[in-house]
Amino acid sequence: MGNLARFAAVNTKIMSIESQFLTSKDYKNLLEQKTVVDAARYLKNNTAYGEVLANIDPGQVHRGYLESLVKHRMLDNIDKISHYFTGDYRKFINTLFAKYEIGELKAIARAVYNGSDLKPFRNSVFIGKYSKVDEEKLFSAKYIRDVIAAFEGTVFWKYLEPLLNNNIKENLFRFEMVLDASYYEILQKQWEKLDKQDVKVLERAQGIIADLLNLQWIYRGIKFFKLSPEELLNYTIHLGSRLDSGFIKQLCYSKSLEEFFELAAQTGYSFLFKNDETTDIFMGRRIERHMFYELRSVERNNPMTIITAFAYTIYTEIEVRDLISIIEIIRYGIPAAEAQKYLIRNLNEGA
Amino acid sequence: MSVEKMKVICVIGSNNDIDRAAQMVVLNGSIHMLNAMSELNNNCLELKASEDNINALQELVDVKPYVSNADFTEDEKIIKSFHEVLDMKQEIVTSYIDPEFDYRGIIEDLKKSYEHVKNTVESIGKLTEEIRLKQIQISNLQYARSDGLDIGSLLKMKHFDFEMMTLTREKYKKLKLNYENIPAVVIHLGVVDDMDVIGVMTPTEFRADAERILTSLNVMKLDIPKGYAGNTENVMKTLGIEINHAKKEIEELKKTAGASENQYRELIRKAYTMLMLERKIEYVKAEMALGKKLFFMFGFIPDGQVEQFKQQLKDSLKDEVIVLTEAVENRKYGHSPPTKLINNILFKPFETLVMMYGIPNYNEKDPTPFFAITYMLLFGAMFGDVGQGFIILIGGLLLKYMMKNDSFGGILSSLGISSIFFGLLYGSVFGNEDIIPHLLISPMENINTMLISAVVLGILLINISYIYSLINLYKRHDLEEGLFGREGLTGFLFFWTIVLLIGDSVLKVFGIPTAVYIVILGALLLIMVVKQPLAHLLQGRKELYEESAGDYYLEAGFGVVETILSVVSNIVSFIRVGAFALNHVGLYIAFATMAEMVSSRAVGVLILILGNILIIGLEGLVVFIQGLRLEYYELFSKYYSGYGIPYKPVQLYGYED
Repeated sequence: MGNLARFAAVNTKIMSIESQFLTSKDYKNLLEQKTVVDAARYLKNNTAYGEVLANIDPGQVHRGYLESLVKHRMLDNIDKISHYFTGDYRKFINTLFAKYEIGELKAIARAVYNGSDLKPFRNSVFIGKYSKVDEEKLFSAKYIRDVIAAFEGTVFWKYLEPLLNNNIKENLFRFEMVLDASYYEILQKQWEKLDKQDVKVLERAQGIIADLLNLQWIYRGIKFFKLSPEELLNYTIHLGSRLDSGFIKQLCYSKSLEEFFELAAQTGYSFLFKNDETTDIFMGRRIERHMFYELRSVERNNPMTIITAFAYTIYTEIEVRDLISIIEIIRYGIPAAEAQKYLIRNLNEGA
Repeated sequence: MSVEKMKVICVIGSNNDIDRAAQMVVLNGSIHMLNAMSELNNNCLELKASEDNINALQELVDVKPYVSNADFTEDEKIIKSFHEVLDMKQEIVTSYIDPEFDYRGIIEDLKKSYEHVKNTVESIGKLTEEIRLKQIQISNLQYARSDGLDIGSLLKMKHFDFEMMTLTREKYKKLKLNYENIPAVVIHLGVVDDMDVIGVMTPTEFRADAERILTSLNVMKLDIPKGYAGNTENVMKTLGIEINHAKKEIEELKKTAGASENQYRELIRKAYTMLMLERKIEYVKAEMALGKKLFFMFGFIPDGQVEQFKQQLKDSLKDEVIVLTEAVENRKYGHSPPTKLINNILFKPFETLVMMYGIPNYNEKDPTPFFAITYMLLFGAMFGDVGQGFIILIGGLLLKYMMKNDSFGGILSSLGISSIFFGLLYGSVFGNEDIIPHLLISPMENINTMLISAVVLGILLINISYIYSLINLYKRHDLEEGLFGREGLTGFLFFWTIVLLIGDSVLKVFGIPTAVYIVILGALLLIMVVKQPLAHLLQGRKELYEESAGDYYLEAGFGVVETILSVVSNIVSFIRVGAFALNHVGLYIAFATMAEMVSSRAVGVLILILGNILIIGLEGLVVFIQGLRLEYYELFSKYYSGYGIPYKPVQLYGYED
């Protein structure tokens, strides 16, 4: 199938869905709301989130519930897009769900590890969406190993099974690392089945993401986790990355943070490391924001490719994250003037 | 020949009777459960405030869903291992079901008996596990063997540890990238299921370092046997021998257990039957709602079963019970009633083909009879042949009685009979038209007649489907579609005007000028375009459109084009019935000509036989599909929605979901 035939309809659909994104004005208005209920009412009456809130009384909404509703809309929209595709392309779009499922799973595993109640996680939106895991089994887990056992027979099993193997203690850290890595392997395996041109743009876009995440990982590994260079390297992502693997290896083997900063300064990503107290706090946000602009440019230069759908999921993810931040900002009474620091979207620019 | 009438049944009884009531539901086997909580929330339960009902009314204030805490895993395990040790098949024996049964008691009995065979079961379990492990070891060793590694001596090394493991291809790349920094020798042994298999030799001194790095590569260690001498080949052989020993041992154990078999046989069957019943009871209870003293249960029940079930409940429940029934027509919310089709033996098999398209809605007329008759007609007309039809008939009967495939066997045999009937009309036996005289027509000599009659047949069938559609729309009280829609009255008139227009211009029967037809068609199209505002006006509703007027007219505009195209193409589509009847003869002529061309008579006969097989197989299939196509696209799309829910009563056999 030619790319025009494959993408003409879906990309138009995506454009129409993207037109429903919150505007900067919506952001500002939301930040002015006094309570979560007010915010829910605003979303219901003034934005496209009215769809998921239609049958819900904003007075009944609390933070966790609102978050899950917002995520639900994200899932519905990605689902809608996947219906425009067939075969390997549809499978690829479905693979994107794995990322969000893994995100929720890690939160659940953390709760299991801390022995907290799993009930609040029962309305997790993405659990099972990609893996088709047995939710009953998952939510009755007492230990990490029960969580892992729930995934027997799913796509994640191949990656999780070694955690139970050979009496190595299965711990939260490994669980999280293994799942994160599995996403990129699953993603790559699926996208190799797409057309060459699509693979090229995906590698370009995902490569930037991989670079950013690798830099963040190595930086944190050196600074906080004190891991050996070999381990650091083994947990990096190699996925169309612009930095070649030799350079990444060099980064991992930096003897000190200073040496790491020197090396990082040679890349196009030096903005991540301002070497002041803001580095750690804002790194995540800087990464997201950079990703947003880079994706926009890749998308603009490659019309009629899979990148439009891929980028859409990331944009929605950014909006959902911002929205959740806004809800928290309201909930914990942080002054609106400070809010910008916690948001990915830059409110001082146009939408 | 219709959709079975359903009633909603509501049972309110004392909590003491909850198990009994659930059991009645399972044994009765005709109740399609509804979730009581959602029923109570959505549909007001109409209870008259009388003495009898006062308790129930009070309870309604505070009802909770039933929470099951039944856990059958242990019972299941015992029953299953019993079956395995005694080599018995799991089967439900209905005669063991006793309404007065005590499930726990039976399981206790069983557990006591289990003590006697416990040792045997455990030994068998241990041996089976041993066999499984050794089989895995053998398959792991295979990788080492193909690389010529000598496992015996590798494992004997004093200052080196040898291990085998798998890891994903991505991680293997990382290992290679950083090989110089890893304190171990790595040998690549192969690839399975997209995973790399490696052998790793580590100096014991660096063991901890290597372990840490390998762990971060998320390796999966493979089990290899320790303590065996000799090369890999020999170790594998030894393992094989050990497995055989263990297998023999299991046989022995089973034999000794078998001696006491008869003692337990009945108990085990009973326990299994009860377990299955108990599981179904839990399923029923899960749909109930509980008050402090009373339970509430809802379900759909076929009209004819209501009285019997009521009586059963009243007879066997100890305490007071309230049974309410309600006509499904009064339901405003919740699930629409399930569809149970009632058809006679002749039409029943065709339900499968109808269901392939969809299950009729509860309020819809069951299309199966019409489908069955027309489908047989279409198939026969396209594939009319006494001999080949006979073979299809035989095939169908074989399927039905030998292989117990009722639906498909039934369909094939009906189609075979229809084919024979048309074969007589066409005078065709195994493609040959000279053996018997045709009773009605010989297709090849009357090509035009065949094609025209096909179209006439089509017009007739389309007419009937319009009538079906009108009935369905009337039942649904759909004014907009019924009067002005494409499948409603206006569409029907439009269809007839087109038929008359074509008929008149070809045959000149009435001699009405074409312009008149065009005007009528235009007027009808206009009505269809403005169907929604028109219907809303008639109903006296304020807003004329359900969406914006612009969107509505855009859609309606496309609708016009589609209507014109589809009416014409629907009619023309039926030409294929005639065409395939001709095609059938044509295909035979091709084979007959080939048979005549060869010199040997034997080969000629062989070609004819092969040709007939090909015609039955290939053309039979094509005609089968083309017939379905006509039914689904030309007819079903007019009058049949197929959005129904299948009727799935709780029964001891079978599965609800």
